[in-house]
Amino acid sequence: MFMYQKKLQYPVRIRNTNPALAAQIISQYGGPDGELGASLRYLSQRYSMPYPDVQALLTDIGTEELGHMEMVAAIVHQLTRNLTDDQIEKNPGFAAYFVDHTTGVYPAAAAGFPWNAASMAVKGDPICDLTEDLAAEQKARVTYDNILRLAKDDPDVTDVIRFLREREIVHFQRFGAAIEQVRQHLDTRNVYYTNPAFDPKPAVE
Amino acid sequence: MFIEIEKPSKPNGTQPDDACQTCERGLGSLPDCGPFAVPFVAKQASANPRYGDLQALDYGTLFPDLNLPFHLKINPAELADTPLNQLRALDFVILELGLYLDTHPYDAEAFSLFQNYVALEKTARENYVAQFGPLSQKDAGLGGAYAWVKGPWPWQYSEEV
Repeated sequence: MFMYQKKLQYPVRIRNTNPALAAQIISQYGGPDGELGASLRYLSQRYSMPYPDVQALLTDIGTEELGHMEMVAAIVHQLTRNLTDDQIEKNPGFAAYFVDHTTGVYPAAAAGFPWNAASMAVKGDPICDLTEDLAAEQKARVTYDNILRLAKDDPDVTDVIRFLREREIVHFQRFGAAIEQVRQHLDTRNVYYTNPAFDPKPAVE
Repeated sequence: MFIEIEKPSKPNGTQPDDACQTCERGLGSLPDCGPFAVPFVAKQASANPRYGDLQALDYGTLFPDLNLPFHLKINPAELADTPLNQLRALDFVILELGLYLDTHPYDAEAFSLFQNYVALEKTARENYVAQFGPLSQKDAGLGGAYAWVKGPWPWQYSEEV
């Protein structure tokens, strides 16, 4: 089960509003490599992961990603607080979002399309799912790189994005170690001999 | 089922554990023989060296070797040394050590450190809750009134640091 902690993992305190930037950062909430997909990916992959230590890792990283989703939402919320009609008219980048969601926080990509489960995978095979997770961490890292390029004039924003980006690197390292843990359980000469999440354990030859 | 293939001997008789000792900072050990067609990430040999807890939160990692920032923002602003940030920092170190232990469960030194931080965090959390109000819903039972519904909520902008 999950219980809420009434604090953010890392402080978010954005002094200046910037609706155009919010419309770009929303991608890490509900875009193809965002935190919603990250948490759902890892928390969903747990059920077909046969090894308890790797189940622990998927649970812990999936839970941390829920906290990151909240931080990205906090950035978007604070960048769009107290806006006037005039500010929205002058920001065509945000007006397209505004017409559908006002200043609510909705999981969508920067390009406008809503969050899509097709952006993540649960294959039900340990090496396959963990390889997906390595790629997912890299894609999120690059998205944060790109947000840092766009947000470089607002240190309140870049400070938080930099923290979130670094977490992708740490998670990549941990998933890499998890693949090695999985490999220890498999046939050393052919790791693809079975899918240990589905096939019964083969008799020792 | 499989044809037995003779394994090549390890160069100079090095064992994987010895290899860890010879790796430079920021480099982890690889096996003498790696498998084909499987992703491989070098192994982090130990939970050393480490940042202090507030600095770890600042950088987004406890481990200097994993701190690989993007060029546009190398030096983060220093976090204010407030009770909330101190608690965040302790929680962050526990999370970082927890993820490390998920993949290194037999590292006794890291586990001992994890235990120390859990004890520190417990005290810091109790002090914070007594002074500033509930962090979890059940904390709200400790005060004189039901303070869980009081704002601001964490995502709201606050003038205070």
